[in-house]
Formats: sequence, structure tokens, C-alpha cells
Amino acid sequence: MLDRLLILSVFVVASCGLAYELIAGALASYLLGDSILQFSSIIGAYLFAMGIGSHLSQYVKDEDSLARFIDIELLVGLIGGLAALALFLVFSWLAAPFRTVLYALVLIIGTLVGMEIPLVMRVLNQRQAEFRELVSRVLTFDYLGALAVSLLFPLVLAPKLGLARTGLLFGICNVGVAIWTAYAFRRELPGLRAQLTRAFVVLAVLIAGFAVADRLVQWSEKGLFGDEIIHAETTPYQRLVITRWHDDLRLHINGNLQFSSRDEFRYHEALVHPLMATLPWAKRVLVLGGGDGLAARELLKYKNIESVTLVDLDPAMTTLFAKAPALTALNQGALKNPRVHVVNDDAGRWLENHDQVYDAVIVDFPDPSNFALGKLYSVPFYRLLKRHVAEHGAIVVQSTSPYFAPRSFWCIDATLKDAGFHTRPYHTYVPSFGEWGFIIAGAQPGYAPPESIPVPTRYLNPAAIRLMFDFPPDMQPPPGIEPNRLNTQSLVHYFEQDWRNVQR
Amino acid sequence: MKRRAFLQAGLAAGLAAGLPGCRFDGSALFRPDIRITRPGMDVGHVLRDRQPLPPVSGEIRTDVAILGSGVAGLTAGWRLAREGFGDFVLVTGPEPFGNATAIRFGDVPCPTGAHYLPLPTPASAHVRTLLGEMKLVDDAFAAAPDYDEAALVHAPESRLWINGRWQGGVQPHHGIPASEVAEQQHFYAYTESLKQRLGRDGRRLFEIPLALSSSDPEWRALDAETFAHWLARNDYTAPSLLWYLDYCCRDDFGTGLAHTSAWAGLHYFASRNGSARNGDDAAVLTWADGLNTPARHLLGAITPQRTLAGSVVRVSERRDHVEALVLQYGRLIRIRARRAVIAMPLFVAGHIVEGLKNEGFDPAIHTPEHAPWLVANFAMDHFPSEKKGEVLAWDNVVYQGKGLGYVVATHQLIRAARPERTVFTAYHALADGEPRDVRRWLAGASADELYDLAASDLAEVYGWKLTRNASAVEITLRGHAMPSPRPGFLGNAGTQALAAADGRLLFAHSDLSGYSVFEEAAWWGWHAAGRILGT
Repeated sequence: MLDRLLILSVFVVASCGLAYELIAGALASYLLGDSILQFSSIIGAYLFAMGIGSHLSQYVKDEDSLARFIDIELLVGLIGGLAALALFLVFSWLAAPFRTVLYALVLIIGTLVGMEIPLVMRVLNQRQAEFRELVSRVLTFDYLGALAVSLLFPLVLAPKLGLARTGLLFGICNVGVAIWTAYAFRRELPGLRAQLTRAFVVLAVLIAGFAVADRLVQWSEKGLFGDEIIHAETTPYQRLVITRWHDDLRLHINGNLQFSSRDEFRYHEALVHPLMATLPWAKRVLVLGGGDGLAARELLKYKNIESVTLVDLDPAMTTLFAKAPALTALNQGALKNPRVHVVNDDAGRWLENHDQVYDAVIVDFPDPSNFALGKLYSVPFYRLLKRHVAEHGAIVVQSTSPYFAPRSFWCIDATLKDAGFHTRPYHTYVPSFGEWGFIIAGAQPGYAPPESIPVPTRYLNPAAIRLMFDFPPDMQPPPGIEPNRLNTQSLVHYFEQDWRNVQR
Repeated sequence: MKRRAFLQAGLAAGLAAGLPGCRFDGSALFRPDIRITRPGMDVGHVLRDRQPLPPVSGEIRTDVAILGSGVAGLTAGWRLAREGFGDFVLVTGPEPFGNATAIRFGDVPCPTGAHYLPLPTPASAHVRTLLGEMKLVDDAFAAAPDYDEAALVHAPESRLWINGRWQGGVQPHHGIPASEVAEQQHFYAYTESLKQRLGRDGRRLFEIPLALSSSDPEWRALDAETFAHWLARNDYTAPSLLWYLDYCCRDDFGTGLAHTSAWAGLHYFASRNGSARNGDDAAVLTWADGLNTPARHLLGAITPQRTLAGSVVRVSERRDHVEALVLQYGRLIRIRARRAVIAMPLFVAGHIVEGLKNEGFDPAIHTPEHAPWLVANFAMDHFPSEKKGEVLAWDNVVYQGKGLGYVVATHQLIRAARPERTVFTAYHALADGEPRDVRRWLAGASADELYDLAASDLAEVYGWKLTRNASAVEITLRGHAMPSPRPGFLGNAGTQALAAADGRLLFAHSDLSGYSVFEEAAWWGWHAAGRILGT
């Protein structure tokens, strides 16, 4: 009876062992891409580690083998069970090198799993089971367990539970085996009480982990994408992910698409040229946000511009776009250009602490999706900005979509007016964003769209510019739009309502 | 509170189980560094216990001495200076700025006293003058002027932790029966209607400054009963409404409904009629360091040359001058002045000013009861995480909590990213029990006991995340933080006599109004300066 129980344990233990391997492989290919490389390197490392475990098992004394088996089950359950969850969190939120943690875990789990079967076989051997029969039964159940999991994992567990909870489930199984074995062999185990206490503590940890795993993963998965990730980085301010699919490079910040290399020129030409083409005398230009250097690339086409000051919060962002070859190819090395001065500071603080005046300001902030960002689209912020704009200079503000978020767009327009600017809204079509809007705002009235663009462009020509300033009937301002005041922050509410109407 | 205690007990038990034979007290490990300050207490007890004074070692002669540097004293000095009257000295007292004091944690300033100023009423010309001078308002005397939005509280202004989640605004509605919400609406509609009502003397029933309110006896009669009694008499019974009104009374008066004058309770809701073109009527002006920003502006006009650091220990009226003895770093300085503005709380003046009885004020009878407060500034190394979808507001209150909630010092910053560090200022009006007993408890309480009280609202909201993110806490104990308008306070003949005093001694303090807000304190300072200037 007891022996049959041990054989059944082998089935469970084998299932768990393979499950950890599959989870590690799936996680690695999910997070790092290139699944063939990930799976084969993980399977190789895991099997190698199992070999180490088998080798180490000889150092366990015969009389201790049952107790050590139970200890190893607990350790495997704890480490293996929590591994997937830990890896998700490490990948998303810690600066720790993900691959190092991944392979360290694979080696530890593999080593422990490698000790399991030799120990079970020795325990059974002590009970005078016949060796021929013993080997056959143990390995039969070992392989059966592997089959069961290799089918269950992709068809049921991974889709239904997700990787983290699947890992925890198998961890709980390992601990179950430990408790079950300890109970069944209670007469032969000297330190039974301590062992059971440990087992239940580990069980409690795993069950708690199971309960919160989903939320933790959801939280960490915000930054995960379908395309191949060529760069992922968590900075103190944001999570930067760059993906590639064929020739399409995409930058995501906190899971939101910032640009696609296939059509970003439409966005950046529309952001820069309608303003700059009318300011042939402009010498000093300020860019707020725009750490990708793409707006700077457009600005540098103007020979009259002597200096571009680019204020972006995140040094990781500007460093990345100054150094990574694929990205400097895209911004034509703008951030390394001697005419460009990169400042890593908070735009709000920087404007408060400096008093330089610029001929033009390009404001390319993230959308006003929360109260903190909404402050960068407020009357006091624009008043502060106005103090940095030359008498006949002007600013241009990325202003969300006048088609999808009409109230937000016209709210920004109303806010700029309330801050004393004369505004000219316009819009263009960017395939990866949809219809997108900008507002040119000057301290003086009288802005007129340029008749032509004095620098080379891929998209803009006089006809395209004329269309940009025409708002067809479905993009007219809605009535009763309030400016964005800090006391009420109407813009954040508008933005939330607008996008709720659009998104499914 | 409970959750943290549970977690700590659990962890301690777990560690104890893992380390048999070791005893482990987990609680101390989880506490941030605690610093406790008791402004004014040392010199206060010197006075109370009549400890011997050193001999006089210097004399200053001046036309006017302003004794006290809270908002009342500062306003008096500011008005004198701005109207060209330069011959005065302002003695700071033990705590410069009084209830408008601030401290800093790193680069984050935060208040150890009051945090905000409501939009001034049209009658508060003194406050409007100040705000105009500070360029916080475009047309100081317009009905609804344009305020500097950077100083108007930014959205989201407030939220309430109720039934385990947050709701917007402090007036309870989440999970509250519709009948109770209707009763709340009824009360607010009533007080709103009172805002424009005039008494038989043609004045608004409830005005700020309080001294300009109607003296219509029909309405003044409300001062005879408690707010709790008035509410019961008018069939206001909804627990959520009564909690909110009690919260407001503790917040502004330091007393609960049961000890607040009904007239004062209604005054709270029916007096404020200021408005802004670019903000809600209920919007308030606030700064990272609270009212220290306007207080520093007032002090700026007074200049350091006219400021004397030290604590007044005696004021005596002589035949042709006033003499004030000032204790400064262990030495005693005598000030000889033609007139003096007593800009200190009356429980202090009662010990310092000789012959107050001759002014019509008997300290034993007329000193208003002062409520004890605890203000705790938690230095947060990181913002604790909020529940999904929830955003920290400026003012964060716990329904039926022990404290009055907590205010975020960095809320008004305009930044692309929120700062790494911030300060949460938690307020507690210790309104349970007699003030004297509470003060005794405060004097004897251990740092841990005070911390538990200070952290009660935050611990309820954040549990263990509070102790993980807070690295230090400064607890400011104000044993006599503010006068409480208890029933009968309007008929206090002693404070009325001091308010009317126009001899060598003038009095300026919110104690004269019977409750403590910036506008009232500033009013008495403004008023006293006006008497000196002869306007």
C-alpha cells in the first residue's frame, strides 16, 4: 500500500518537474521572443541541472532518504511554484537582469527535481521491492506524468490559469506529495512535527500566492506586447518597450503606442512644419517631451534654427534614442547633433526654474489621461509657458484626436485661449493613431498656414497643409466646452469620456 | 490600525516560531523615526509655574509693540508697514507663525498647522487686500475674481474612505441610503438659503469676519444651545449627515457637535459666500506649506529689522507707556512702547498681562476653552500604492475615522511626473473628553502611543504599506490649538471687552472671535492696526 503510494507520488512529481520546465520555456519565449532558442536552451539547462541533482543524491544517507525526499518536495514546491510569478515581476518592474534570474531559477529547480526520482527509487529499494520491477514502475509513471502535463499545460492550464497560477498549482501539488508522504510514513520519520509545520507554512505561502497571482501578473503584464520586443526597460518614470515586426519599429510607453516607424513622419512633419515654416527668423526652439528625437529631426532641417533645447524627463529615453543604431537611424542622430541640447528634467520644474525665451516651442506631452498629466494642459501651465515665448513666436501643442476625443481637443483649444493665446487648430491622418490634432498658439493673432514648406518632406505639401486647417462637419467643436482649470480639471474628464465612447 | 497590528502580531509569531527561545517585538521595527514637538510648552510652563526670571539686560524703545507672530500679529504689522507706519517691533513669541508654521522634509515643505484658506467673503476686505498684494487675484474686490489657479486647490480635491473604498468628496454618499442623502441635501439647501439672509439690522446673519454678523437676537438665541440639540430639534437624524457635521466642527472648532454652539455650527455652513470666476465656490487656496506662504508674505512686509525673536513673559501698563519683558535665549529684554498689540492666545495673555481684569476680562471666567490638536507630518519616501483606478486627492478623509484625514503636501505641484517623495499631513482634533484631561494624556503619552494615534487614519487606508513608505514622522502637539465656540461664546463679556479695548493695550487674536481661522485672526490684526493708524 505504502509503496503504491510512493509510485503515485512519482507520477505527481514527474508532472510537476516537467511543468516547471514548460513554464520556464513558455515564459522566456513569451517575454524575450525567439521561442526556438528559448525552449531549447531552457530544456538543455534544466536537464543538465537534473543531472547535477542525480549526482548529488548519492550524498544523502540511506536512513535519511525519506526525510530528505520530503524536504526536497517542499523546496521544489516553494521555488518552482513561485518561479513564474517572480519572473513576471522581475521582468516588469525590477532592474535585475531577467535572463540571469531565469537561468538561476531553472538550474536550482532542475537540480532539486533531479534528486527526486533517485531518492524515491532508493526508498523503494530499501523496502525490498524487486529492482527490475521497481525501475520499470517508477520510470513508467515518470513518463506518464510527463505526457499528462505536456498535454494539460498547453490545452488547459496555460490558457485557463495563466503561467503564474499554473506554476503555483504545481507547487501546491509538490507540497501535497510532501505532506501526504510525511503523513503516510509518520512512524518512520523522527522530525515529523517540524516537517509538517514547514510543509503547512509553504502551503499557505503558495495558496496566498495563488490568490494574488492574477492581480500581480495583470499589473506586470501591462508592458507586454505581441510583436518581438527588441528593447524593454523599466525606468523610475516609465516602462519603455520597443517592438519590431518586419520593418515596423514601435515605441510603447507604459503600454501605450508612441509611434510606429511606418508613419511617424506624418505625425512629426505635421507637428513641426506648419509652425516652423512660418517662422523663418526663428533661432532658438524648445521641445518639451519628444525624447525620441523625431521632432528634433524635423527641426534640424531648418538652417535658421541655431539651437534646439529638448527637455525630457527620462534620461533612459534620450540615451536610448541617442545610442541604439536602429533608433538613431530613425531620428537621423538628432539627439547627437551639436545644435541639440538635451535636458533631463521635469518640464514643469524646468520652466519654473529657468527664464530663457524661445522663438518657438514644440509641446509633445503624453495624452492627458490622468490628473498629473492634465496639469500640463492647464491654464497656469500655458501661462507659464507663455513667459518663455518670444513676442512674435508661437507654440504648437499635440492635442489628442479631434475625431475620437473631440471634447478633449477643443478643451485644449479653449484652455490655450483662456491663457491668452491666439489659436489655430489643425489635424492630420496618422494611420497608426487615426485622425490626430494639433494646435498652433501665438501670443499675437495673425497666424496664416504656410503656402509651402522650405525643407524636404515626405508627406506635407501645400495641398496637404490646406486640408489640415479645414475641419469637416464631423470634427466641429462640440458646444459648451470648458477650459481645463486646475481646480476642476475638466480635460481629464473629457478625455476619459471621449475614449470610453470609442474603445470597446 | 487593526490590520497592521494583526500583521505585526502574525509576523512576530512567525519569527518566534522560527526562532524558538527568542522573544521578538516586531512593532518597533516597523515604525518610522518619530520626532515630537510641543510648540510653546516650555515657556508656557515657565509662566504657569511662575519660575524666576533673569535680570533685565537690555531695553528697546518703540512706538508700538506687537506681541505675538501668529496670523493676527503678522497682519497688524503688515498693515502698519504697508500704510507707512514704521515705528513698531514685533515679538515672535515661542513659535513664529503660530498655527501657520511649516517645516521641511528634504525639499518638501509641509505645514504643522493650518493648510488652507477658503475663498474670502466680500466682507473680508483685509484678506482680499492681502491676496491682491500677493498677486493671487486679478481684481481683489470683484464679486468673482480670477484667482491664481496654481494656488486654487487642484482636482481631485477630496475623497472619503467609506465602506472599504474611496468616494469623491467628503460628504458621504457611497453605500448611504437615499433617504439619508436626501436629508443631507435638505440641510445644505437650508444653509445655502441662509447665506444671503439678512437680520433685522441689515447685516448678513452669518458673516466672516464674525464680528460683522447680524446681532439679530432671534438668531443669536441659537448660541444658547448645542449644535447637536439644534439638529435633533430640527429632525436631522441621518448618521451620515451627523458624522459629516461633526467632522466639520472638529475640523474648524476642535469640538464635536455636542459641545459646539448651534450658532457657530450654522455659521460654518452659512457664512462663506466668496466665489471665483475660474473655480468652484467651495474651492480653497492652498500651498505646499499651508498658510505659511501667506504668513511669510505678511512677515516680509514687516522686515527682520522690526522683528524680535523671543517670548513675552510680562506685560504691564504704566502711566505713560507699556512695558513688556521678553525672554530671549536666557536673557531678559525690556520693551518700552506707547501702545502694545496683545496678539497672543488669551490663555497665555491671562498669565502675562497684568491687570487684565481692569480691561473687563477675568481670565478665570472669560478665557475660552482651547481644544488640543495633533498634527503629524509623515515623510513618505515613496507614494504608497493606491487601489486600482484610485488617485490620491489633496484631502483624504476616513469616514468615522479617529482623525480628520490627511493632506498631500506635493498636490499643487505642476509636474510631468509625480515627485519621488512627498509628505502626508495628518490632522487630529482631540475632541473626545475634556480638553484638560486630553492635555494631561498628551503630556504623558509615549512616542508609540502618539504615533498610533497620529497614524490611525493612514493605517486604516494603507495598512502595512504606510510603514514601508514612511521614513520619518514629526508629530506636533498643540495642547491649546484653538478656541472652541461652545454654547454661549457669543455672550462672552470678557472677549467683547478686549475686542473693544482702545487704550494703551489693544488685543488681536482669533480668540476674540471665539474660533480660529485665518480670516478671523487676520481681521483682529487688521482692526488693531486700524486703531493705531486712526482709521
